[in-house]
Amino acid sequence: MSGRPQIGGARQTFAPWDDPAARPLVRFEGVSKGFDGAVAVDDVSLSIYEREFFALLGPSGCGKTTLMRLLAGFETPDAGRILLEGRDLGPEPPHRRPVHMMFQAYALFPHLSVAENIAFGLKRQGVARAEIAARIEEMLALVKLEGLGRRRPDQLSGGQRQRVALARALAPRPRILLLDEPMAALDKKLREETQFELMALQQTLGTTFMIVTHDQDEAMVVADRIAVMREGRIVQVGRPVEIYEAPADRYVAGFVGDVNLFEGRIAACEGPLIRLATDDGALDAEGAGVVGDAAWLAVRPEKVAVHTEPPADGRNRLAGTVLDYGYLGDWTTYLVETRPGRTIRAARANATRTLLRPLGCGDPVWLTFAPSSAVVLTK
Amino acid sequence: MRRGRVGLAAILPFLWLALFFAFPFLLVTKLSLSHTVLAIPPYAPQLDLSQGLAGLKVFLDGLDTTTYARLAQDRLYLDAYLSSLRIAAMAAVLLLLIGYPIAYGISRCPPGLRLALVMAVILPFWTSFLIRIYAWIAILKPAGILNAALAGLGLPPVDILNTETAVLLGLVYAYLPFMVLPLYAVLDRQDESLIEAAQDLGATPLAAFWRVTFPLSLPGAAAGALLCFIPMAGEFVIPDLLGGSETLMLGRVIWTEFFANRDWPAASAVAIVLLATLAVPILLFEREQGKVLS
Amino acid sequence: MRGWLKALGFAAAVTLAACGPKAPEDSAPQAGGTLRIYNWSDYIDPALLAQFTKETGIKVTYDTFDSNEVLETKVLQGNTGYDLVVPSNHNVPRYITAGAIAPLDKSQLPGLDKLSSATMLHMAPFDPGAKYAVPYMQGTIGIGYNEDAVAKRLPGVKVDSWAVVFDPANLAKLKDCGVYFLDASEDMYAVALNYLGKDPNSKLAADYKAATALLMKARPYVRKFHSSEYIEALANGDICVAVGYSGDVLQARSRAAEAKNKVKIAYAVPKEGSQVWFDVFTIPRDAPNPTAAHRFMAFMLRPEIIAKASNFTEYANANAAATALVDEALRNDPNVYPTRELSDRLFVTTTKDQALLRDVNRQWTKVLTGR
Repeated sequence: MSGRPQIGGARQTFAPWDDPAARPLVRFEGVSKGFDGAVAVDDVSLSIYEREFFALLGPSGCGKTTLMRLLAGFETPDAGRILLEGRDLGPEPPHRRPVHMMFQAYALFPHLSVAENIAFGLKRQGVARAEIAARIEEMLALVKLEGLGRRRPDQLSGGQRQRVALARALAPRPRILLLDEPMAALDKKLREETQFELMALQQTLGTTFMIVTHDQDEAMVVADRIAVMREGRIVQVGRPVEIYEAPADRYVAGFVGDVNLFEGRIAACEGPLIRLATDDGALDAEGAGVVGDAAWLAVRPEKVAVHTEPPADGRNRLAGTVLDYGYLGDWTTYLVETRPGRTIRAARANATRTLLRPLGCGDPVWLTFAPSSAVVLTK
Repeated sequence: MRRGRVGLAAILPFLWLALFFAFPFLLVTKLSLSHTVLAIPPYAPQLDLSQGLAGLKVFLDGLDTTTYARLAQDRLYLDAYLSSLRIAAMAAVLLLLIGYPIAYGISRCPPGLRLALVMAVILPFWTSFLIRIYAWIAILKPAGILNAALAGLGLPPVDILNTETAVLLGLVYAYLPFMVLPLYAVLDRQDESLIEAAQDLGATPLAAFWRVTFPLSLPGAAAGALLCFIPMAGEFVIPDLLGGSETLMLGRVIWTEFFANRDWPAASAVAIVLLATLAVPILLFEREQGKVLS
Repeated sequence: MRGWLKALGFAAAVTLAACGPKAPEDSAPQAGGTLRIYNWSDYIDPALLAQFTKETGIKVTYDTFDSNEVLETKVLQGNTGYDLVVPSNHNVPRYITAGAIAPLDKSQLPGLDKLSSATMLHMAPFDPGAKYAVPYMQGTIGIGYNEDAVAKRLPGVKVDSWAVVFDPANLAKLKDCGVYFLDASEDMYAVALNYLGKDPNSKLAADYKAATALLMKARPYVRKFHSSEYIEALANGDICVAVGYSGDVLQARSRAAEAKNKVKIAYAVPKEGSQVWFDVFTIPRDAPNPTAAHRFMAFMLRPEIIAKASNFTEYANANAAATALVDEALRNDPNVYPTRELSDRLFVTTTKDQALLRDVNRQWTKVLTGR
């Protein structure tokens, strides 16, 4: 994070990754893995800390699931090593790792009841019978499935099955719980509810969670930190706000949320501000760089203000016409054409119940954004 | 129009059953209640429909259950039933013990190889069944391939042709694909992630097999066992060619009634009783199949 | 369906007749069509069938069976589609009673007068007036054996008695090299009753009980009861003794000789006497092409033809005029053409009624299975 402005860092109380003395729970060291010549995971180094809710975010095929399976022991790294509390997991088969996984399609044992599914891991650990019974009740209460212990998985709804899978993976008290796209099979509303429940559960138990997801919103909501992956490599690791507000490159900026990009060359550096010469004129933003280098200015749509009258100040000002707009209820997104072939997205919060649209297609508008709301990316 | 099509589709299976099961079953039942005569065909009474209702009455009056009474009086038939069921059950157990590892092995192979191995299991079917059983005679006979091989290894010869051992060998050989394929179908369809979940929860590969793979494959094992058991209990050719005279099976009894005694009613009665005792396994099989399909 | 097949067969036969060379001596009109024969396995020289087709233009379809039981069960179903079937003498009365076979049209059978009067005398009880059947081959039941293997195990014992296969003392010594019995209840009971000094055609239950007791004592030493496997098994040297049919044993002898496997097979009709049987041509009542069947019978009645048939099957034929044309070795073999002295010891089996047949077969099942 050196060289970058810290955003909102002061308020954060749980940040062991910023503590040089903190020992990571899990540490990937230069881990690589290929399948039939294609690289799935490419030289990944990563630390995950005790009690952390960590998200691996990326499109399908980026290697995030492979990275998780390497930790669970279902795959063996071609290079590098994986440490759990400083101990190399290399020689440990999956059944001896104190790492449990919640599978994407839940992988509940269809021939066993809910209670038997939850007891499965406990029995393998040799937990006493009475203790198992108590733990099953505890787990059922935890995931709010009291009284459903005798049911078979096929007698449950999708949401209930997801909870059983969670309870089953948590029952043997893993050092780290891996969640592979845990909410992919749920509908949108249930997914949002579950996200908050999962966070609450993680807070209650204090167990370290590692979630794999391709859904940026989900990662933003649940995770303490997010690792964005692309083609087997980790592009950026950081808290959601860092990923969103200070993306490491154009890829992260584009993958997490919407972004307007302006390509240009660095014309001047003035303190924390950089002036970029672009086809849309000179634009200012925060960032670091060398004069003369190619760079991109990134600004999120919600940080672009839309004016119907020409604003006074000349900085970061663009004139255009509304090409299209989308009313989303809480927001309205405008697509503004500043010159032929060049469109910029701007989002406006609908703070009042304006039934009469103030803006329509073809209306002339002016767009502005503060230099501190934009960021200069050099790759 | 649409209704009509749905109706036909619903009726077709019943039509099929009526044509190829119920109708022949009624014919054989009728035969079993007839008695032998020296004529064409060699049984009476014949249904003469030209006489109308009177003809039907004469026909029905001519039917009786004396043949069944005769079956009950001679222990031979009961012995043959029990012996058939015992041999079929033994063969079914052997088939499970041999077929399971094969099916499991195939299901764990890379997908490309899997297809080749399934083909290898089916391949012998492209050769005549009789030729394959005759090949076993050449292998098992006293001066056959097996004993030549044993002699080559310095082992004493074995004489198992014309024994129950040879019959079991032949049955297991001939029915193996019928055991392997349903087992393979179940094992192949089994979700790999279930095994991973078991191992993830601390089960050793062996424990994962016994706690997850095996119980989930039981419907396939049941389907395979019943699929083999039912025809094996009525098998005629394999015991006739590989078995000795004392290998008493129902197929042979039916053959004797039909050919040696020219007693079609008795042969039919034996067949009807065989069907009745096997109706239970067939129903079980139907249920198991329902489970596998769901 | 059948009509369509027949038309197809007819067309094929016509094409064949048109293309092939004309039969040289045949002045009769071309019968055409197809002749479907159902005969015992290995029971005709295929060259003769080809010659018949060449001469008459009649295509031959040839199926085989290996027991009278299979034949009778099939024929009594009716509608077999066969034009010519070949039962044994003692089954003929059953076919006649059941109305399964048709009387012959003797005007179409010019060679009938050449049949041996002795054979026709034997056949008289089964086919009174010779209305239904034309005798084809005859043979006996006897003991086929591997000369060297038996000599080693029974030194000094001449294989000329049923005691070789019915006396447990002998069987015990032969067990290791393999003994086969026919799986034919009527044939086996006839020779067993005869060996016990009883009427081979007895109708007394007590006689059959005694024969069963005899067979039960032999049973533990018998490797298998089967009516055709023994031919191959004897020829290969897999077994050393078989109760079998004369021609089959002699075929085994020929096969062993051809294979040059040093297996020497011999055949003996025991001195106590044995069964002689006659296989006869008959025409099913519903035969589609009885004309073709008659043509075939007439063909087989020609001495030079039936002599060739005997040379192939190694059975004696019923044609007196053909004997001189049969291979010398065959016609001089008393096992094939019995001497007068041997003929006196031979008997025919009569037809049993259904109740006795059932009873005998039940006892035979007991012999086979021990239950």
